[in-house]
Amino acid sequence: MKNFEKPPEGLDKTPSNPTRSALGRDPFEEAVGDEPFIERLDELETRLPSRRAYRDPEWDAAEFRQDEPVRDARRQSVPPPQRIERSRKSRQNGAPLARRRWATTPLLSQIEPTEAHGLAERLIPPEERRRLAALSHLVDADGQQEARYDRFGFSPAAIKNSFPLFYALYRFYFRVRSEGHRNVPTEGPVVLAGNHGGLLPFDGAMAIVDLVLNTDPPRLARTIIDRWAGSLPWVNIFYARVGQVIGTRENFADLLDEGQVVMVFPEGIDGIRKTIAHRHRLQPFRVGFIEHALRARAPIVPMAIIGSDNQMPILYDIKPLARSLGLPVAPITPTFPLLGPLGLLPYPVRYKIVYGEPLRFHERFGPESADDPRLVRYLASQVRRRIQLLVDRNH
Amino acid sequence: MPRVLITHADEPIGRRIVKTLFHDSAVDTIFAVGDAPPPRSFDRFLSSEGRKVIYLQVDMAKHRPISDLFHSARFRSARIDTVIYVPRHGSGAKDNPSLVGGIAERTEESRLLLQFCRETLSVRDLIAIGSAFVYRMPPGNANRLNEDSELDLDPHAPAEIRSWIDCDMLFHAEVHNDRLDVALLRVPTVVADGGYVYMNPALVGRLGPRFRALGFDPICALVSDKDVTLAVQAAIRTSASGIFNISGDQSVPLSVLASWTGRSSIPIPGPLLRWMSPATRALGFEPHEGPVDCAQLRYGYTLDTSRAEAELGFRARYRIGLARAGDGVLQVETTPTP
Repeated sequence: MKNFEKPPEGLDKTPSNPTRSALGRDPFEEAVGDEPFIERLDELETRLPSRRAYRDPEWDAAEFRQDEPVRDARRQSVPPPQRIERSRKSRQNGAPLARRRWATTPLLSQIEPTEAHGLAERLIPPEERRRLAALSHLVDADGQQEARYDRFGFSPAAIKNSFPLFYALYRFYFRVRSEGHRNVPTEGPVVLAGNHGGLLPFDGAMAIVDLVLNTDPPRLARTIIDRWAGSLPWVNIFYARVGQVIGTRENFADLLDEGQVVMVFPEGIDGIRKTIAHRHRLQPFRVGFIEHALRARAPIVPMAIIGSDNQMPILYDIKPLARSLGLPVAPITPTFPLLGPLGLLPYPVRYKIVYGEPLRFHERFGPESADDPRLVRYLASQVRRRIQLLVDRNH
Repeated sequence: MPRVLITHADEPIGRRIVKTLFHDSAVDTIFAVGDAPPPRSFDRFLSSEGRKVIYLQVDMAKHRPISDLFHSARFRSARIDTVIYVPRHGSGAKDNPSLVGGIAERTEESRLLLQFCRETLSVRDLIAIGSAFVYRMPPGNANRLNEDSELDLDPHAPAEIRSWIDCDMLFHAEVHNDRLDVALLRVPTVVADGGYVYMNPALVGRLGPRFRALGFDPICALVSDKDVTLAVQAAIRTSASGIFNISGDQSVPLSVLASWTGRSSIPIPGPLLRWMSPATRALGFEPHEGPVDCAQLRYGYTLDTSRAEAELGFRARYRIGLARAGDGVLQVETTPTP
């Protein structure tokens, strides 16, 4: 146990008392007797210090005393997945599945500098052009230029064409600063879990650009997006071409099988529609990413994105209107709907992205642990707590 | 050694399977049936020594012809033990009725074939090629689907998709038959050398422009016709029973695939799509035969083939790409993976 609170003994042996669970109750659990696990969770919740205490250096020291010293993730070898299991059904079949080749990118030193072709490439500095050239190796290099799409519709050419815009946003509009890139493993499957905010998902875009610009070999984060976005004309095409993937179980498991960086915002839609009163406070987490990380034996890197909550502060969310229009949110911001569509432009706030130390739950819990809903919820709460800590320290 | 009956052997995928099995020494007899007279390419098979290939013209959508086939002395003497159901691709020729007694032709022939396979004791294996467009498509440009994914049971699904689903469910119901091993191979868009494309409802029928919903360009999983044949061979060898996704490693957007195969795809705003076919007909043009607007043509998918890998030993071996022909024109070519 290295980076997270030690779970209690007898995790899955005793019945629960759902009325005492701090993380919600399991509706399928029999309500008999007390359970050490739930008691322990309650104890953990009561031990959580106030927001002010998070900033207390004394408390910080006490919090991390049990942890091992921070290590350079580059030197750590990521254990390969022992067995690829995509679904419960395929596990029942017992059929051994062939391990898929990991999608990797070469080191920058292995990429030859190339001449810029076209306006889009001329707008990108040479160093960044080399990084984009490395990303094209994610799609089978043997393929014809016209056929260079991966199974999810990702196209290196599309990323090259759209990169100047997002690079400009990254450098000059949001003026992103970042730290902790060494915590992102250089190869193998990784789940990057971050906080979400700001109505429009510029936080995800900035995190993708940041990771491409600050890792060697450059790593492209494949963001898991909501199904709703997949039904929007043009948006669905754009997302797919730049590497974003609809959040289904099969898609998530497939990306991890391929050894890719999967970026998730476990708050989901609740994150982007939180009002200004709730900014910098994480909403309840979805827990599916924990299951996939355990099954694929992938570390989880907590990521805090500071600034997204201020880019478009929501004063009020008209929920009945959103429901009637089939939209996730109907916001009132200081500029929207006052200025019409222009009011949806984000404010030029300064972003800061911080990558925390990876949480290697898979080193303690096997893939079968993903079937334990209480453990999964508990681990999700640990990730949430870590991200909240990073947010509180840096905003 | 298996003795095989192949339906729709006169159509492109059927011809490819007959050709491959003809050269497969593990196959004893090939009983090829089709709607049309034997294709010219069958001349050398039919005149070969040993008469490995027998071709008969049978309308598989009618009860009497198919009954006559299964009860004929020729069929009995051939002692057929494996039936390969190759479906009719597209909507069929114009002079053929698309409905038989109110049921889609493809559904009717699946039902009849299944009925006679059950009744014929010599038949032990039934291998059916179905479409992967039967899956329900949730929003998204690329959904990874496995064999357990939900089927599209929407009653408003287009007739073309509906007929594939009906066939799929007919074969699915017999998967656990004790006597008959039923293997259903769900294939996505099948591409052949020269830019021919089958089984994709957006691209069925003649060359020419197609309409698609504006703002949507679904990713299409591809498989070579040669890989489909390999999957059929694998199913014959293993006598496997169940449902298997069969797909290659490649996928391209619908617009790219349409341009590869000489069919331009014209984006039209979604609400106007349903009026495009009557409008083109009113202007004197023959409209596209397939469905123009359904979830399968807005949202893309790729297939998880891990079950076929594990149980059939199938792995796609052919790559699909553009190559320059002798006259300098780029055309689709399938080449073995190095």
